[in-house]
Amino acid sequence: MIELISDKELWNWWSPVWLVAAVVALLYGRYAGWTSLSKTLWLISGLSVLVFAFVSPLGVLADGFLFSAHMIQHLLVLLVVPLCVVLSCPPAAAGTMHSVANEAGSLGQKVRAVITSPFAAWLLGLGAMWFWHVPAFCSAATENYMIGIVRTGTFLAAGVLFWCPVYSPFKQDRLPASSAVVYLFSACLGCTLLGIYITFTTITVCPAFASPQERLAIMVALHDAGMTASVDQQVGGLLMWVPPCSLYVAAIVSVLCRWYAVAEPGELGWSVSQTAEIR
Amino acid sequence: MSDSERLASDGVTNADGTKIADGADQRSASSGRLLSWVSTVDHKKIGILYICTAVFFLAIGGLEALLIRVQLLFPNNNFLSPDLFNQMFTMHGTTMVFLVGMPVLVGFQNYFVPLMIGARDVAFPRLNAMSYWLLPFGGILLYFSFMTGKAPDAGWFSYAPLSTKPYNLMPAQDYWIIGLICLGIGSVAASINIFVTVLQCRAPGMSLQRVPLFVWMSLMTAILTILALPALNSALAMLLIDRLLGAAFFEPARGGSAVLWQHYFWVFGHPEVYILILPAFGMISEVIPVFSRKPIYGYAFVAGSSAVIVLLSYGVWAHHMFAVGLGMGADMFFAVGTLLIALPTGLKVFNWTATMWGGSIRLTTAMMFAVAFLLEFVIGGLTGVMFAAVPIDWQLTDTYFVVGHFHYVLIGGTVFGLFSATYYWFPKITGRMLSERLGKWQLWLWVFGLNATFLSQHVLGVMGMPRRVYTYADNPGWMALNAFAGAGAVAMAVGTLVLLLNIWVSLRRGEKAGDNPWEAFTLEWATTSPPPPENFALIPQVASRRPVWDLDHPDAADAGKELTPADSGWRPDKSVTSVWAFVASEAVFFLLLLVAYVVFNTDLVGEITSASLLDVTRTAVFSVALLGSSFTLWKAEAFLKSGKFAQFRFWLALTITLGAVFIGGQAIEYYGLITSDVTISDNLFTATFFTVTGFHGLHVVVGLIALSIVFVLAMKQDRNVLHGSALKAIGIYWHFVDVVWIAVFCIIYLGFMQ
Repeated sequence: MIELISDKELWNWWSPVWLVAAVVALLYGRYAGWTSLSKTLWLISGLSVLVFAFVSPLGVLADGFLFSAHMIQHLLVLLVVPLCVVLSCPPAAAGTMHSVANEAGSLGQKVRAVITSPFAAWLLGLGAMWFWHVPAFCSAATENYMIGIVRTGTFLAAGVLFWCPVYSPFKQDRLPASSAVVYLFSACLGCTLLGIYITFTTITVCPAFASPQERLAIMVALHDAGMTASVDQQVGGLLMWVPPCSLYVAAIVSVLCRWYAVAEPGELGWSVSQTAEIR
Repeated sequence: MSDSERLASDGVTNADGTKIADGADQRSASSGRLLSWVSTVDHKKIGILYICTAVFFLAIGGLEALLIRVQLLFPNNNFLSPDLFNQMFTMHGTTMVFLVGMPVLVGFQNYFVPLMIGARDVAFPRLNAMSYWLLPFGGILLYFSFMTGKAPDAGWFSYAPLSTKPYNLMPAQDYWIIGLICLGIGSVAASINIFVTVLQCRAPGMSLQRVPLFVWMSLMTAILTILALPALNSALAMLLIDRLLGAAFFEPARGGSAVLWQHYFWVFGHPEVYILILPAFGMISEVIPVFSRKPIYGYAFVAGSSAVIVLLSYGVWAHHMFAVGLGMGADMFFAVGTLLIALPTGLKVFNWTATMWGGSIRLTTAMMFAVAFLLEFVIGGLTGVMFAAVPIDWQLTDTYFVVGHFHYVLIGGTVFGLFSATYYWFPKITGRMLSERLGKWQLWLWVFGLNATFLSQHVLGVMGMPRRVYTYADNPGWMALNAFAGAGAVAMAVGTLVLLLNIWVSLRRGEKAGDNPWEAFTLEWATTSPPPPENFALIPQVASRRPVWDLDHPDAADAGKELTPADSGWRPDKSVTSVWAFVASEAVFFLLLLVAYVVFNTDLVGEITSASLLDVTRTAVFSVALLGSSFTLWKAEAFLKSGKFAQFRFWLALTITLGAVFIGGQAIEYYGLITSDVTISDNLFTATFFTVTGFHGLHVVVGLIALSIVFVLAMKQDRNVLHGSALKAIGIYWHFVDVVWIAVFCIIYLGFMQ
């Protein structure tokens, strides 16, 4: 018998995510300092999105009720929050991180070199996405609280690593524009494939959502409006597919802006006589 | 230029000149002239060949269109039989897309991209010749179907199951498939060539942010083609296997999926729309600034938004399938995607308009066609946006409204862009001007013809006239509108004849053009008209987006004033780049075959499945051999780099042996299956299994042949192999084949994704 929960519990005000946000804010203040307004705004946006993803009805619905809500939460945690965090990171703080890694000795340097290489970052970013949608893992992370926390942690970490080659505060760590476009476009292809698979497959990707133990009252209304389990999964697959690709394309646009903006006043030695030779 | 070609081009000079002594010389000169065209590897001649072939097929495709219009002139007409009508619209569509639109654009790219970037030729002149010759070959195959009693008649998108054997018994459909595969291979090869040419052969100083927009659009088109054509090729391969070997990929009656064909076709088909329009964008982006005497407004936006179009175009294919019933969720998302892609397209119209704003506009025929492009393309674009609204699509799909819409895009866009480019570049190609007077006749005939024909079709579509039906009942107004559409078609045909007349007159006694008759900006105008075989005596140095403007107006030069990102001088290795492009194309091909495997094997139950038939352990052993060969090849590359040639040859030989062991293993597997009566036509598992592993095996064999050639050359101390990038290039391909096998093994043998 499915237990019906009233809609009063749609907000999860006592989520431990507040604690995470507070710790991150403290660390940020300690190491990066509240110096630049734009960087601070990025951090505030990132933390707000993080809190929203768990406290709001979205977080509650994602917790075993609605697959598409889970997908939105997942995208916020894997893509949006880490992007904001990376953009909020001032070069000085990144410098501290570099020196910490260097102090840790050659092993630390090697580990850092591997996990910050674009290839590994791409694999981890896409890997986290694919791994947690293997039906068994997806259900386990939804049903078991601790595995759920592990999932959120890996999403955040993989997300930060993924965005680093594009938006690293250290300019020399960033990929050249053409490679960055390939990096983002291939990532788009990766989530497109997963999205297509989730949208069109006949398999239940996350069984925990298809046969819930309890049901929010709002779910009844949603179900009556046509949001059956299969429609839910289809919408989830499309969410996996279109919004991340749109985000990647937006990132590509920003990379292109950067690429076209590099106007170098060099070009000394150019003269008309030089070009005149072609005739 | 090879010796034979130099001789051949001497022959041309003789034939053109007047000093030929006797008849024997004349004969050898004319045969030399023919040979010079047939054997040419000059990008300019190949470009002209592409354009002329496209014009030839334009005549045929246009004739088919006129026959369709005659049939639709009266209600209940029986000028064409229903069957012949089907053949006409199928051949008209296929011809116009594959034998006219793509070749003529590739022709212009072939001719002008190297000139505009200050190169002597394309990166791979011989590959270029091969790409071209696949075009007449594919075209002849397609049209040979008429000799079999009937031409293809399943529409240009050949929807299954109509295109499958039970519904289409004649061999015409097979000719259609094989012809398109030929054309597809040619297009991909040509695009890889353009891609590498733009990346590798640019003149010093020409950074990618400084290339003329036509070159940039050609680069984008090349990327689109490289990644979109393999989708069509995989679908064609599967349909051919259905038809010739009895599989059932697309036969719903035997468990296949007709919708899968639609998905695959439109994954190719929607990018194809942009393959046909982006070069035209590039053309008018050259013409409008020159005839407005201003640089393009928002260069970076025009270029960058085209890159966005390339990326988005792969995500909107399903808007061609709203009527299929994909589900409300899918429809919504694809509708949003479609609206999204209209932004980078639509906003460019403002760039072109803003370029004209405040300029000293010269209304030459080229410029007028460019302006007509803006007006007509906007109409086609807006009706396209209408289709993004799913209910409107449901109402209007498969009516003449759709036909009207895409003809506005393809004629108002692509064809007008091409006419504009023809008037703009004809003086460069031939050294003579086209008549402006005849040009304006052509312009107005086409503007009238386009609007008469296709505006009427919009109205007919709203009234409910279905497309692809050979006749119609005598409904009020339908005959008048169809007659008007017919008049428009005649006007366009006459307009084309006016163009041909214009060209003929110009070639005989046209005004001499000079190097730069339009006072244009880009490098093709820095050389003679027509350009010499080597294009430029000296490779030009570039410092801005308008090098010839800088040259002509040193006081007002862009260089040093309008800052653009400088050229780092770095150019990629052309063999390695071309192999990466090829590998990307092949990856899409295999991806779609694997998707088909997953689609068909997820729910498959019965006796013949992966689990019941395959010996995973044995294949795992052979897989180790294949993966080991990647390692040995890596070792071989390392030894080659450090100059230890003996070790290099040993590890290369080991690589070839391991590859051969894998192929031997696959042969044993196939032999075992076939002798126990398991064939490709049994069920969807065997169909997908043999298709995927068969194509992979074919790739391994090709890799082995390539590696063996390298090995033989290495034994002969060939410089290219020992000191060039040949091994590195083949290595990329070989590693790719191994990576594909990892995916194949995981999905087919280990049952991932099921």
